[in-house]
Amino acid sequence: MLSFNRLVLNEWLKMSKKRSFFIPYAIIAVALVALSWAFKRWGGDMIGSASEFTAMMSSTSFFGQFTAMLAVIFTAGLVASEHSLGTIKFLMIRGQSRGKVLASKYAAALLFTLSLFVWLMAVGFASGAAFFGMEAGAGAWRDLWIAGGSSFVYSIVYVTLGFMMGVLTRSTGAAMGVGMAAVVFSSLTIPKSFYKYVLFPNADLSVYSHGGQPPIEGMTLPFSIAVLAVYMVLFLGASFVTFKKRDIA
Amino acid sequence: MTQSQNIHEETAVLSLRGVSKKIGGKTIVDQLSFDVREGEIVGLLGPNGAGKTTTIRMIAGLIQMTEGDVFVRGSSIRHEWKKAIRHIGAIIENPEFYPYMTGYDNLKQYQRMNEWISNERIDEVVRLVGLEQAMKKKVKAYSLGMRQRLGIAQALLHEPSVLILDEPTNGLDPAGIREMRDYLKTIAREEGISILVSSHLLLEMEQLCSRVVVIQDGKLVTVRAIGGASAAEEKSFVRVMFRVGRFDEAKQVLGSQEHAEILQVAEEQNELLVALRYKDIPETVTALGAAGVPIYQITELKQSLEDEFLKWTGGNRIA
Ligand SMILES: Nc1ncnc2c1ncn2[C@@H]1O[C@H](COP(=O)(O)OP(=O)(O)OP(=O)(O)O)[C@@H](O)[C@H]1O
Ligand SMILES: [Mg+2]
Repeated sequence: MLSFNRLVLNEWLKMSKKRSFFIPYAIIAVALVALSWAFKRWGGDMIGSASEFTAMMSSTSFFGQFTAMLAVIFTAGLVASEHSLGTIKFLMIRGQSRGKVLASKYAAALLFTLSLFVWLMAVGFASGAAFFGMEAGAGAWRDLWIAGGSSFVYSIVYVTLGFMMGVLTRSTGAAMGVGMAAVVFSSLTIPKSFYKYVLFPNADLSVYSHGGQPPIEGMTLPFSIAVLAVYMVLFLGASFVTFKKRDIA
Repeated sequence: MTQSQNIHEETAVLSLRGVSKKIGGKTIVDQLSFDVREGEIVGLLGPNGAGKTTTIRMIAGLIQMTEGDVFVRGSSIRHEWKKAIRHIGAIIENPEFYPYMTGYDNLKQYQRMNEWISNERIDEVVRLVGLEQAMKKKVKAYSLGMRQRLGIAQALLHEPSVLILDEPTNGLDPAGIREMRDYLKTIAREEGISILVSSHLLLEMEQLCSRVVVIQDGKLVTVRAIGGASAAEEKSFVRVMFRVGRFDEAKQVLGSQEHAEILQVAEEQNELLVALRYKDIPETVTALGAAGVPIYQITELKQSLEDEFLKWTGGNRIA
């Protein structure tokens, strides 16, 4: 376990020592402060409190989707860049099994995504508190957790898809492109019955909150969770099987 | 012969046994077997595309072998990869690091992957490769020579038994090549480590290795000791170039010498290339003098590894 934590630390340092590392955090902070200012100025009393503002910002229909994109962009290179830099050769001859190395990379991707959401919530709340005050209405906290939680799950699904693409294609560009395209496609729904087994309409679990209508007839929360679980297993299975067997050139 | 082979096997740090690699029906490495013994520097020699890098990748477990196995201190790389790889330190093709991190941060990455590597060990290997001044610099500011050194530091960090270097002098200038050779010898001595080094720079191998394994088209061509007994034996015969006046007389005199053979004549340059025993040189010169042949120049032509290499690998011989 100690050695696994160290591998995750390695991966985290590889990400965080890049000069571009602060960019997603900066984008989130600037955008949230600007938006809370704009809502205060022109939004009338649309938003009443910090928690309301944060819930709205972190929902998939607002900033949650954008945060998912940031997460995909900044984790797409985790595997592919080792290939393109050529550092994979040193990484794979240090006595740590391939499965463990890949798992540490995936763990780092999850941690990074989590950190973006913690940051989104923290900045959203701070900025919201400054503009709208702390007073929270009934159910505001619950809304916040639903919005943030479903956006987080949504992001993890697409980060995992991008992660798999990075392993399969060894190309950062392909991983990023496919991951982002998937996020964009996610908001389109084809009203056909077969489409409910596709990943996209299931990724956003927040549609089921507040007694909302499912995107396609017959979909339920447990159904979507099951579909997501199957896709995640497939993505991770394909990644690990490929990575463990592959000849490293 | 079988007895000596047994001895080799006992002290072999690294053994390849019938290693083959086929990709898409093409055999890239074909039934390769050789040993690297304790404390020995062995050259893996072959022209471009011979399969050196492929062989090294299989030794390190980066690619799967189609047949055969590699043993490192008795552990199979196929079946006990963890135990075997612990004894290997390697640079495969170019030494590639995370360019946006400092040299020190890069080494820390590898330290975290094996818990027995101490901070003192990092300092020690850095000193050994002479990179103390560069540790705080980002790797993207390193010259190729510095990256090679950092690569070697990386390879030595976990105290392996055998160091495997794939064309370590590739891209280095003559001074860099010389330095590399010197500190590889230092490392072999100070760390008591065996080294397998691949190259197509033959002169390099002559100056660095005690043995060379020559491969071509993935097949073993020959294994040769350098500077050892067999080389001394061959040296008792030397190749001497005489530049003379009165060419025809000289040819006659040299042709009639016992234990001497004219290998080549170059009439326009008045040169004769003769193979003869070293101890017969004075006698031959006297004979030429007695026949009134003026001698302008006598040069020994060293049969370099390069010549031999081309002979072994069937290239055009330059004599
Ligand atoms: N993945 C692959 N698929 C097909 N052929 C390959 C592959 N990898 C290597 N080869 C072929 O195998 C041969 C040996 O390649 P290798 O890189 O091992 O040679 P080398 O001895 O290291 O050459 P060099 O001195 O140029 O580095 C080459 O002909 C190469 O084209
Ligand atoms: Mg090569």
